[in-house]
Amino acid sequence: MLEFISNLVAVLLTLFIFSFLYKDNPFYRFAEHLLVGVSMGYAIPLVYINAFIPFVYRPIFLEGNFWLIIPSCIGILYIFRFTRNLSWLSRYPIAFGMGIVGMGVPMSMHSSVLVQMRNAMLPIDNINTLLIFIGTVSILLYFYFSKPHKGLYGKFTNIGIWFMMVGFGASFGYTVMARISLLIGRVQFILGDFLGLIK
Amino acid sequence: MNLFEKMKNIDRRYIYLVVALCIIIPLLIPFNSRTYVTDPTANLYKKIDSFAGKEDKAVLLSFSHDASTMAELFPMEVSILRHCFERNIKVFTICFSPPAAPLMAYALNVAKEDYPNLKSGVNYCNFGYKPAGLFLPIVLGMGDDVAEAVQTDADGRKIKNLEILKGIRNYDDLNLIIDFAASAAVFSWITYARVRFGANVAAGVTAVMAADNYPYLQSGQLVGMLSGLKGAAEYEKLVDVFAAYEDTEYPNGREFSPEVVKDTWVPIMSKKISYDSQGSVVQTNVDLPYKFKQARIGMNAQSIAHIMIIVFIILGNIGYFLTKKKTAEVS
Repeated sequence: MLEFISNLVAVLLTLFIFSFLYKDNPFYRFAEHLLVGVSMGYAIPLVYINAFIPFVYRPIFLEGNFWLIIPSCIGILYIFRFTRNLSWLSRYPIAFGMGIVGMGVPMSMHSSVLVQMRNAMLPIDNINTLLIFIGTVSILLYFYFSKPHKGLYGKFTNIGIWFMMVGFGASFGYTVMARISLLIGRVQFILGDFLGLIK
Repeated sequence: MNLFEKMKNIDRRYIYLVVALCIIIPLLIPFNSRTYVTDPTANLYKKIDSFAGKEDKAVLLSFSHDASTMAELFPMEVSILRHCFERNIKVFTICFSPPAAPLMAYALNVAKEDYPNLKSGVNYCNFGYKPAGLFLPIVLGMGDDVAEAVQTDADGRKIKNLEILKGIRNYDDLNLIIDFAASAAVFSWITYARVRFGANVAAGVTAVMAADNYPYLQSGQLVGMLSGLKGAAEYEKLVDVFAAYEDTEYPNGREFSPEVVKDTWVPIMSKKISYDSQGSVVQTNVDLPYKFKQARIGMNAQSIAHIMIIVFIILGNIGYFLTKKKTAEVS
């Protein structure tokens, strides 16, 4: 019975959201606001239990690691973001965050640039590597703006546009597939899990 | 006003209605569409399968999505868990975002329902939700010592005391990380676990994210990838054809073979035909639980929807060029 009620609520909320396809209405807005509220209401206690209690409250107040008060206070400075006069204080915890991001720069340079470059420099011994070579060079030259895109050079950079168009087409195709999949998921839930019409 | 001009001005809600019908009808009246397995899916399957029965190898599943993308990612999560459970492969699960925590527990519960002998802490272990701020300490820490980095599982148990951790110390043993994501979370695993420690990373991503991941697949930084519902359907088929396959010759599944997967067609909606002692045909329903064929059933609707979209695009273009020609003639 409990499962039926929870599924019924989920079905109703799904239909409320889909009702926007007809036109904007109070049912849609109710479901939208409920989603935001429930998400936050769920996340706050989960973070409190899994982050604040084990990493702030327990070590400081129960285990006596008082040095943790310093990073905790730096973290609290985030709250000053909401004040006009003291919002500059929130930049200190942000600076620590940026420092951590900096740590990842050499590694992301390796994975996103160096390894990709190495794999773009393969011997041209089949049609795939030839296409990769032409595509990479023509697109890179398309984004080189110190030389006018005219004549033979302009024609070659135009090939880069074609490669990009194919890329955009692939992305669009995948996006259509993803959106349809989401709709299929909801319909499968309503027809299958709730109404039991799909076996 | 001709037909195409009328179609140009059609209320878009009729289009929504057609889309809805194209999805609802194939789901209500299912049919057996073929599932062709692509290399990224097969490579991931083979990688996981290579860990079968090994004490010192394990798979880590990272859940980096919320309920909004469950339609695409949940079937692939269940399929991979089913594969691991069928082949006696140790599985760990972890997530760094609050909405992923219940989805992770749900996927584990759904997959293990059919395996009553599996025990938490012995065959699988849910590390649970860890705050996002701990992503780097945990990911980098697991390169040295998993037990030290993660500390406790979802039930609050010290993981160093769990039986599943025997033979598992760092990424040399926890040698495959699969990130289920609707975002760029996979890149973080590549950047920190792959580059720093050489861990094998694979992705189970929504179709929207698939195009972004292909360069990493091409460069070998991803050992495999499942792309959206199609990837999930492919993996479902592989598990049916190999890991969960049963007959007198192969009572406990069989090894991956490209020839077998190419030639085998697994009907998801079918009746098994056999003959009784009098030689009469007996039809019985193939008893495959819905949760293990969910993506393939969904792909029926997906195929019809794609055909519909292609027809719409063709019609739209014909209408555009005819209207353009007519306008040119008038002027």
